[in-house]
Amino acid sequence: MKVNRRSFIKSAAATSAMATAASLFPGVSFAGWKKLEGASGMISWQKAPCRFCGTGCGVLVGVSGDRAVAVKGDPNCSVNKGLCCIKGYHSVQALYGKDRLTKAKVRKNGKMVTVPIKEALDVIAAKIKETIDKHGKDSVAMYGSGQWTIPDGYVASKLFKGCLGTNNVEANARLCMASAVTGFMTSFGIDEPMGCYEDIEHADVMVTWGNNMAEMHPVLFSRMLASRKRKKDVTIIDLATRTTRSSQASDKSILFIPNTDLAIANAICYEIIRNGWVNKSFIKNHTTFHKGKTNIGYGTEDHFSFKDKPEDISFQDYKNFLKDYTPEKVEKISGVSARDIKYLASLYGDPTKKVTSFWCMGMNQHVRGTWINNLVYNIHLLTGKISTPGNSPFSLTGQPSACGTVREVGTLTHKLPYGVVMKQKAREKAEKIWDLPAGSIDPKPTYHTVEMFRALDRGDIRFMWIQVTNPMVTMPNLNRYRNGALREDRFVVVSDVYPTPTTDIADVILPAAMWIEQEGMYGNSERRTQHFDEIVPPPGEAMSDTWQIIEVARRLGFKKQFPWSKDDYIGPLWEEYRRFHDNPKHNMASYKVLKARSGVQWPFVNGKETRWRFNPKYDPACKKGSKFDFYGKKDGKAWIWARPYEPAAESPDQEYNFWLCTGRVIEHWHTGSMTRRVPILHEAMPESYVEINPEDAMDLGVVNGEKVKIVSRRGTVTMKASINGRGVPPRGTVFVPFFDESYLINEVTLDAFCPISKQADYKKCAVRLEKV
Amino acid sequence: MKKADKNIGRFVFSFAAICLFGAFMALPVAGAPDIPQGFDSDGEKIFNRYNDTSLAALTGTDGRRNLNTFYELRQYPGSPPRIPHAVPFFYKDDNSNCLACHGRGGYDAGQDAYAPVTPHPENESCFQCHVPRRTEDLFVEIDWQSISPPRLGRSQLGGSPPAIPHSLQLRKDCLACHAGPAAVAEIRVEHASRGNCRQCHVSMATSGLKKEFQRNQEPGQ
Ligand code: SF4
Repeated sequence: MKVNRRSFIKSAAATSAMATAASLFPGVSFAGWKKLEGASGMISWQKAPCRFCGTGCGVLVGVSGDRAVAVKGDPNCSVNKGLCCIKGYHSVQALYGKDRLTKAKVRKNGKMVTVPIKEALDVIAAKIKETIDKHGKDSVAMYGSGQWTIPDGYVASKLFKGCLGTNNVEANARLCMASAVTGFMTSFGIDEPMGCYEDIEHADVMVTWGNNMAEMHPVLFSRMLASRKRKKDVTIIDLATRTTRSSQASDKSILFIPNTDLAIANAICYEIIRNGWVNKSFIKNHTTFHKGKTNIGYGTEDHFSFKDKPEDISFQDYKNFLKDYTPEKVEKISGVSARDIKYLASLYGDPTKKVTSFWCMGMNQHVRGTWINNLVYNIHLLTGKISTPGNSPFSLTGQPSACGTVREVGTLTHKLPYGVVMKQKAREKAEKIWDLPAGSIDPKPTYHTVEMFRALDRGDIRFMWIQVTNPMVTMPNLNRYRNGALREDRFVVVSDVYPTPTTDIADVILPAAMWIEQEGMYGNSERRTQHFDEIVPPPGEAMSDTWQIIEVARRLGFKKQFPWSKDDYIGPLWEEYRRFHDNPKHNMASYKVLKARSGVQWPFVNGKETRWRFNPKYDPACKKGSKFDFYGKKDGKAWIWARPYEPAAESPDQEYNFWLCTGRVIEHWHTGSMTRRVPILHEAMPESYVEINPEDAMDLGVVNGEKVKIVSRRGTVTMKASINGRGVPPRGTVFVPFFDESYLINEVTLDAFCPISKQADYKKCAVRLEKV
Repeated sequence: MKKADKNIGRFVFSFAAICLFGAFMALPVAGAPDIPQGFDSDGEKIFNRYNDTSLAALTGTDGRRNLNTFYELRQYPGSPPRIPHAVPFFYKDDNSNCLACHGRGGYDAGQDAYAPVTPHPENESCFQCHVPRRTEDLFVEIDWQSISPPRLGRSQLGGSPPAIPHSLQLRKDCLACHAGPAAVAEIRVEHASRGNCRQCHVSMATSGLKKEFQRNQEPGQ
């Protein structure tokens, strides 16, 4: 069809209004989607946090009738100021996959049968009762998620820890940020970052430690790039074990051998001291020095237990400890040149530069995760670059509510919404708020995630309820845990929105409301609580995870603890939960305030959010007159730790000669059960692959797209090779994204974990490659 | 992967074509037959460029970039469009690569088309929001519906300037999309030189349904 431009414009002008394109191009169906009635502009926009990553962007969901039809970035949300990433922009499409679970299913004589959801809830309640009667209260467990809403996690904790008296509550966030928590607890005595995202605009130097932010925290990364463009003299350093988009966009990319970040961080501290860049008054007034146990193991055996024994040391002891970490020695361990180590130290040490460090899974999924968190804090503490705008050791989270639901609500075996189960005061507080008799809460923690699945395998746990997560794709050393879940006399309930490998092993499947089909809150990486309304109705019989738990709790006889009505339960529940944090160190905003704003940061004190903690200028919980107050520790002083370099649990050897690292890609969220149903995301990233260094590929005789078998001591996966693809690993390392359930890379990975945090290391195990 | 390979191949080929084209233009062409003599050096360049560009591309009226193809790359009005051509997986310097064409526009011989101009060149991480398509298959079918794209030219009065039917978020630069040879034919304006678009065109993409305006009942309440 040819349109002469002149005549086209003329005719358009003549009719005063241009014709619609459909009539201009007859016979072409216009635009790629099915159209709802209604004109553009006649949709309403409602705020929500994004469903996916821990960045926690604010989105505006466009609603027409009872359907979500569009997304734009929420300009009122300070996280993203109106910009999203490709997942956020298409997030609403994840609600509409044809295979949404809308009805409950129960296994009857080996077959899954559709039943009314009421019946399924009856079955669950009866099974919990029966299992407790037969095997004791610690034979039932709840496994949740950093994608649980805050109310989801809160009622789960209340039912299991409070009413049932078992500490068998864990969440997948154990596998995602437990090391961040233990890092904060050991260094500062209180969890969650001191800084906020505004640090990005204040910083002169940003260092990403094993964190491919361009793909994993894309909106934050674009804030970094925008700041560099605006201010010109901003430096971004990518410190990683493979070359990624983040490395490409940074000013300098430094590659290190896996696990040697421990040595590098110590070498940076060595250099800072050697060059006299230590902020002497800061370390004198605000820090103390400590060491803990060494050679602490890897937790690969059942019933592994570890308790650290902190000892005080002097600054001189610490200096002596660092003698093993001269840049020259560390060059040999880490593969990073002494020059680059000195360069890094000079950036951290330069008193005129504000430095922010970012990290996420690279440092947390680490057999010494707690240690490496400690060591990066050391750098910031030695130089006093902390708790001020632009000076921030910033631990990012992966999931939208890992902070909100898991860390703050405390859905981990040892935690309560306030304090830990081991502490009597914390238990009493919970029992009081939950209206339970004294002694209801068990003072002994039970199983952390990996051990919980081992207990299911062994038979110590017989009933497990899994919500908002997909462990049959994500558990490391997956074969063992799948077999364990499938054993005789194990009962698994799965609440989810789509069929997954985890619903495949379920005895009961509950259809869940997803994201904006329910009211709830998330909490992102920067202590921001984000409320969202029920914006569209859930399909079929799908029900919010919170309400599923409440229904079961009531069937078990806990009406008194769960008195709310279905039309109005989030508000009262939030106000009850908020009582746990009723102090200036953690005060949360009221329901009303949360509803009105695009996210509110805690501590929320006297109507004001706290941007930088531990600094009296910004944080009202600090002691008056102090310059800094690390009030998580009794004496107000942060801890600098002497933590050595120790190798990974499994390193490449003769037989298994490659490192295997796993991770995500920008298009897909975790196991892809939502994002793969979004056309544009699946079309851009249809299947997983193994990234191989070009020279290694040459040695193997493999070209791009050819199949390669990845073999470890635990399992094998055969998948296509990607050479010079999106990321390029150095020689001797391969990388596999874990989103694709057709290639279960976690059958290959190792279930070793950090003995302190119990977080598994998905970034390091040994494999060999075979051409097929 | 095969497909991606081919695409990368195409990319390299078109890059090579651009290079060749450039090299050709840099050569002194005096003495060649068919070339009219008597230009100054710039004139010759301009003529060659003109001569090598198809008429349709020159006028932007080949119909290849129309509202239909425009919306075909989108999932709803206002969504970030898919990348409709091959891009290599791995860039040395990915940001400037996209912006080389989409920053200011211009003719790309490889695509035989003018490159559309981005309305938000300040955002450098292009792949944060724009991705290519590597397969046509879906993972599972999806029941996706959205609203109709805005109708064009909805003037309130005959002949009055139509209001802006879309949100201005990330699309504040009117001329990026509404002027130039790569603009979608139906929404290209003739009077781009007037510059101050929002003098006459106001945004009507309000949030929410239209509400009746109500005056305060009593002062102070
Ligand atoms: S960066 Fe994260 S939170 Fe923001 S839109 Fe993307 S996935 Fe959502």
